[in-house]
Amino acid sequence: MPLEIRSLSKTLGDFHLRDVNLTINDGEYFIILGPSGAGKTILLETIAGIHRPDNGRIFLDDTDITDTPARLRHIGMVYQDYMLFPHLTIEKNIGFGLKQQGVHPEEIKRLTGEIASLLEITHLLPRDPETLSGGEQQRVAIARALIIRPRVLLLDEPLSALDAITRRRMRNELSHLPSLTGVSIIHITHHAEDLVSLGTRSAVMDEGAIVQMGHPDEIFQNPQTPFVAAFTGMENLLPGIAGTSHEGKIIKVGNVRIHAISHHTGPVIFGIRSEDLIFSREPLRSSARNVLQAKVTKIRLMGSLAWVMVDCGFSLTGVLTVQSLFELGIDDGDMVYITFKASAVMVFPDEKWDKKELSLETRDDT
Amino acid sequence: MKRKSRFLACSWFKGSLIILSAALILFFCLVFAGLVLWPEPRALIDALTSEEILFAIELSLVTSLISTLLCAVIALPVAYALSRYQFFSSRLMGLIISLPLSLPPLVAGIALLIFFGPSFFGELLRTIGIDIVYTTGAIIIAQFFVNVPYLIRVMRSAFDSVNPRYEYVARTLGASEPGVFLQVSLPMSKQALLAGLTITWSKAMGEFGAVLMLAGATKMKTETLPIALYLNISTGDLDMAIASATILLAISVGTLIIFEHWFGSRKMM
Repeated sequence: MPLEIRSLSKTLGDFHLRDVNLTINDGEYFIILGPSGAGKTILLETIAGIHRPDNGRIFLDDTDITDTPARLRHIGMVYQDYMLFPHLTIEKNIGFGLKQQGVHPEEIKRLTGEIASLLEITHLLPRDPETLSGGEQQRVAIARALIIRPRVLLLDEPLSALDAITRRRMRNELSHLPSLTGVSIIHITHHAEDLVSLGTRSAVMDEGAIVQMGHPDEIFQNPQTPFVAAFTGMENLLPGIAGTSHEGKIIKVGNVRIHAISHHTGPVIFGIRSEDLIFSREPLRSSARNVLQAKVTKIRLMGSLAWVMVDCGFSLTGVLTVQSLFELGIDDGDMVYITFKASAVMVFPDEKWDKKELSLETRDDT
Repeated sequence: MKRKSRFLACSWFKGSLIILSAALILFFCLVFAGLVLWPEPRALIDALTSEEILFAIELSLVTSLISTLLCAVIALPVAYALSRYQFFSSRLMGLIISLPLSLPPLVAGIALLIFFGPSFFGELLRTIGIDIVYTTGAIIIAQFFVNVPYLIRVMRSAFDSVNPRYEYVARTLGASEPGVFLQVSLPMSKQALLAGLTITWSKAMGEFGAVLMLAGATKMKTETLPIALYLNISTGDLDMAIASATILLAISVGTLIIFEHWFGSRKMM
């Protein structure tokens, strides 16, 4: 396995890494998801050798590289703003790494041409960085990092500065890089969407610590903490009291009782995905245990989807297609029924969650 | 008619500010033009080509170029260190290095005179055969001492504005620390360096107070252009004084144009 990180800790100004453990396999596309300020960039910079960790070790191909200077690590880095050297042409930018190794200029020219044609940027070679679009700059930054044949390529929010169409295309191209070049990739992002479409394995970071690790599907379907749930797009997260009654396991929220499947008791945070709420005009006859009467408080249309906020003693947000919305004739202030399964309710023990603010940035790029 | 009505349409406030500005610009132009036009053209040309002024031009050029080069050699690494590294108290260091900037050059000059003259260090230098005071070397040292803080300031703010992530990327690509400095940080600050060097050189050409103190004002020996101006005005030789002044004025205009060309409206002072 090319990269192994053991108990890595680092404090840098206001940012902290706390006991980070990671292993990245050969040719793996590993995604680290987390909000801005979670310490993701510092983690990458520490892996690259820019910062010396306060604690912990880093291994590359089973060799301890914790004390190896960045220039000898062969770990490539691409920043969100690409950081192309503005005083050098694209060709010189890409060839920079080879020049440091003292490679003959003719050979640099040949290898630069080779990697440029691989990334389809040959036509850009004579140009200056400031004349390039965001997507073009990114390809150049990737070419510049790949030309030194790194074992690991670190991508810091590589898609955030791109428009939606370019982003989709680049996401697709990035996913092919490991099989194309054999490089392992660590890609950090605050877009949950990148997680689903790119990662083979992934981790979620919060406040400098890894809070969950696993396959993207696993992280989406089985978040371990309310934070992960919220960050992977769970709209409804609410505090309640879990307990057992004659009806089975329930969660009380004020006067409302919700059926759930959970072994927790006492104060909990429970979550329900918007897409798990079923809207109807009349009470539904179904196997779902939870049927609540609710008042529509707000409707927000986004493309073909409608986000409907309701009050059923507490606030919930559901999502349905605009077509369904019209067929049901749901409008602001209407009384409706919402139905969801007991198994759709995810329950987390309540830690300090209620004090925590979270910006839901996960849906802003679709 | 149309123009008159437009002029009347502008407010008395705006109008008076514009008139004030125009008056000031006119005043400046008259003062400078008066200097150059005062002597008979024939007399000015004679003075400009006189042995004394030619000597002063040569001495000023040689000393200012050497001191500017010296400033660059010292200011670049120091400015980079102050910009990138935390050592001692960087703030205090910055203050000490900047002190000569706000100090009257006369004060800097007399301090240098004591240091290289009667002080222990001066004695020490003399015992190994180096006597700086009242020599050409003194001119260079005085110019260097007064100007190096300025260049450090300019270069420090230039290095500060280079995002360290450029240097990080260069390091991951295999660049050594000197390599990062020479191939990334310095070229990215090239504009500031050129502009800073131009101003440093122009200030060195015109440096008077510190040079007067440390190098003295000896005719045809330590007579730079400003010293020539001073010596000739003291003896009432107005044409010669104006000749030096004209050259200094031309240099100022020239450097200002170069500075504006490199920096546009961005201010570096």
